[in-house]
Amino acid sequence: MPNIVCQHRILSASTTLTVALAGNPNSGKTTIFNALTGARQHVGNYPGVTVEKRAGTCKRGATTIQIVDLPGTYSLTAYSVEERIARSFLIDGKPDVVVDVVDASNLERNLYLAVQLIELGVPLVLALNMSDLAKRCGIEFDLVLLETLLGVPIVPTVGHTGQGIDELLNVVVAVAAGEKSSSPRHVPYGGEIERHLDELQGHMARSVPQLNGVPRRWTALKLLEGDEAVRAEVASADVLREADMAVHRLETVLGDNPEAAIAERRYAFISGACQEAVRSTVESRYSMSDRIDAVVTNRVLGLPIFLGLMYLVFQLTFTVGGPPMEWIESGFVWLGGAVAGLWPAGSESLLRSLLVDGVIGGVGGVLVFLPSIFLLFLAIAYLEDTGYMARAAFLMDRLMHKIGLHGKSFVPMLIGFGCSVPAIMATRTLESQRDRLTTMLVVPLMSCGARLPIYALIIPAFFPPAWHAPLLWLIYLLGIVLAVVCAKLLRATMLRGEAPPFVMELPPYRWPTLRSVTLHMWNRGGAYLKKAGTIILGIAILLWAMQQWPNLPEAQVQRFAAERADVAAETSQTEETRAARLASLRNAEAEAALEASLMGRIGHGLEPVLRPCGFDWKISTAMIGAFAAKEVFVSQLGIVYSLGEEQAEDSTPLRDKLQANYTPLQGFCIMLFCLISTPCMATIAITKRESNSWGWALFQLGGLTVLAWVVTTAVYQVGSRFF
Amino acid sequence: MAASSSLQLSSSLEDYLEAIFQIVREKHAARGKDIADRLSVGRSSVTGALKALAERELVNYAPYDIITLTDKGRDVAEEIVRKHEVLREFFVKVLSIEESEADAAACKLEHAISETVLERFIEFVEFVERCPRGGTKWIKGFGYYCDNDKKTGNCEHCVELVLDDVRSKKMTEAARQQGILTLAQAACGQRVAILKITGTGGIRRRLLDMGATTGTLVEVERVAPFGDPIEVKIKGYHLTLRKDEAERIVVECV
Repeated sequence: MPNIVCQHRILSASTTLTVALAGNPNSGKTTIFNALTGARQHVGNYPGVTVEKRAGTCKRGATTIQIVDLPGTYSLTAYSVEERIARSFLIDGKPDVVVDVVDASNLERNLYLAVQLIELGVPLVLALNMSDLAKRCGIEFDLVLLETLLGVPIVPTVGHTGQGIDELLNVVVAVAAGEKSSSPRHVPYGGEIERHLDELQGHMARSVPQLNGVPRRWTALKLLEGDEAVRAEVASADVLREADMAVHRLETVLGDNPEAAIAERRYAFISGACQEAVRSTVESRYSMSDRIDAVVTNRVLGLPIFLGLMYLVFQLTFTVGGPPMEWIESGFVWLGGAVAGLWPAGSESLLRSLLVDGVIGGVGGVLVFLPSIFLLFLAIAYLEDTGYMARAAFLMDRLMHKIGLHGKSFVPMLIGFGCSVPAIMATRTLESQRDRLTTMLVVPLMSCGARLPIYALIIPAFFPPAWHAPLLWLIYLLGIVLAVVCAKLLRATMLRGEAPPFVMELPPYRWPTLRSVTLHMWNRGGAYLKKAGTIILGIAILLWAMQQWPNLPEAQVQRFAAERADVAAETSQTEETRAARLASLRNAEAEAALEASLMGRIGHGLEPVLRPCGFDWKISTAMIGAFAAKEVFVSQLGIVYSLGEEQAEDSTPLRDKLQANYTPLQGFCIMLFCLISTPCMATIAITKRESNSWGWALFQLGGLTVLAWVVTTAVYQVGSRFF
Repeated sequence: MAASSSLQLSSSLEDYLEAIFQIVREKHAARGKDIADRLSVGRSSVTGALKALAERELVNYAPYDIITLTDKGRDVAEEIVRKHEVLREFFVKVLSIEESEADAAACKLEHAISETVLERFIEFVEFVERCPRGGTKWIKGFGYYCDNDKKTGNCEHCVELVLDDVRSKKMTEAARQQGILTLAQAACGQRVAILKITGTGGIRRRLLDMGATTGTLVEVERVAPFGDPIEVKIKGYHLTLRKDEAERIVVECV
């Protein structure tokens, strides 16, 4: 029996209410959340997991309403992370009101969560969302009757137009104040189950008086369903034994596990209510959405359309995003020059170096990713909100499942060829934690755009033109193969476990509002700047410092100064030769400074470790510098070869130097190592942010570096026997 | 027993009862004239018979009033009609005798035949219909035997045909049994009803939560290009699942 004590709480002049927003995925929960909070929202993570936590506030008179958007779930069992989080928030967070957003055009399945919320005994309001769409589909609701049948207040809403939001807030406040009496109806589970429920409740009343404010009936139901979390919570051997016996007896009587019977009764109850209160006036078996699907997921056309769309996404992210990235880069170069101009020419001020090379360079390094992140998330918002992403997963799942990943992993892997940072952010579309982590960890093996300058420098330096294209292909292919192997390895070891069920709804196609897409894009960009940006900036300054200290010994500085004075004093030579000699002196000094710095010393220190790979200290120093960003490898190499840092990938002097110092095998090993090893600091920062743990970020850093060492050493050692 | 023997009806009274039963069935009530016409007898003998039947409480009879059957009378009449039908069917179906002749013979035999013999007749007809060595072909064979001077056809061939028949029947039976399959085996466009979900754990739970409960109708919509996940329609929405998972859903063709 419903056991609701009506509490007439008088809302004082300024109160804060906590409202939890629950609902199925694709029920339009996010649009309701956006309509309620507008821009007053922030995105974070639930502690310890990758699941996003979104919260926002809105005002209602003097009342501040804090709205927490729970993860979208179909049920309240404890099998998926989302469900566990939603449930623990509902039980432990004790929200004042729970709003369950229900998709009116798919009422039966949506109400399944609602009846569980009723059973959980939370103060509930149903938002019958997309009621306009349902009306257009010819579905009519008798809301008064439905309210009576379920015993909870129902407000029809249209999320994207904001219709019904005001009314929803009114009802929420009224329910919170206890002004709206509700008498939720419970699902009748039939004689046999009810009898056991009563018995279990009796046992609990005797031995577990406190249940964290959760109704006993709910706990008894969960015990019959065999819910591990609730069993741990109850922790009374008596009650658990009683529950096991009840489950066993029910299995004999029902011929099936009670959880099946319970699910069945819930659906039967809902179906009964819907039959009475919902009328379908138009028989629409073949909707617009079905017509689109007949083309888009067609056996023949499906893949070409998918690949075409992926091509568009890639082009949008990196081709359209290219020019703004260049503007940002050149903007920061200009800014650096302008700031450097504040000091007299030739000044060796440390502050100048910190500002120009450390801070401005670092901020530039953060902001340069923004255009592609914004554009990628614009594309992803459209793919997800229209419902196409689920179809993409449907099309690609067979392929990705073979590697131990999910169909949706395809998109991040593809974006990885452009840049790992947005690619790792794109793993957000994966629901399962294990899938997300695996994808995140192997994405850097997709050879990103920043590694291309390295290949462009090395391949022509060592190999004849006919080999150029095949070698480039080989490098990319090696990355893919390694990613596949690593993903399989991870799934077999660290991220082992039952493959999460690929039981996914294909929601009807909908055109998202510009507002929701922009908000989505904005939230992602903001999250990147706040969380990953600070880490990237920190590492950039650290790298700057490593390159700066310790300074070149005074004796050497004086020697370079003396040589410079000599050159300036020589009047026998032309102006041009003098300038060239001065430049080469400057480069030699930069090289000496780098060698003397911490980075150079570490590079020297690493030489014995990297020798089996065929590298000397120059290459290892350049590799450390490349941690800032892969393409920095080229300019670092320029410095260590005393050619100055303005070396581009098509620099002939640098190629000559490489050719003179290394064999083609070593050249190949450099590319191999750059492909596999240490992703750049931005990747590590974003992995830290997305996995919500330094552990995984450092594991990625360490794991990939070790892998690079092993593979490169193997190639070099075997190769040097033949060449 | 004593009561039933006192009710022993003569065959002519049984004919009267049968006639009244049939007239009542057609017109709801009978008159003396109808009965006389149907049985081709005089009005006076009808009156005598009706009196005799009324004495046994089988008909409601008063002079010049309409005649109906009592409940008891209807039972007795129905029994007689049943005997008639069974015999007639036996003559037509098994013995291949013409309808009118069969009818007349049944009319006579129905009064003489005992309950046990009648039951055996019924069982025999059923047996002939059901036994693979009987059946309509076998009866036709009997007709052929009668019409063609007691000649038999190719007995060996006939037995072989019967055997083939039995085997093919067995196959269809097995196919019907196979109406139970898993969702992974269901063909594209096929509509099936869920019987149960096997196994335990998260996948089963998820399937139940998504509405895959016993009795729910599922329609297989399409298969992905690489042949794995399938798309189904369930409870009015579209769901995709891998064949591994569909394997766990036992369904029945509808």
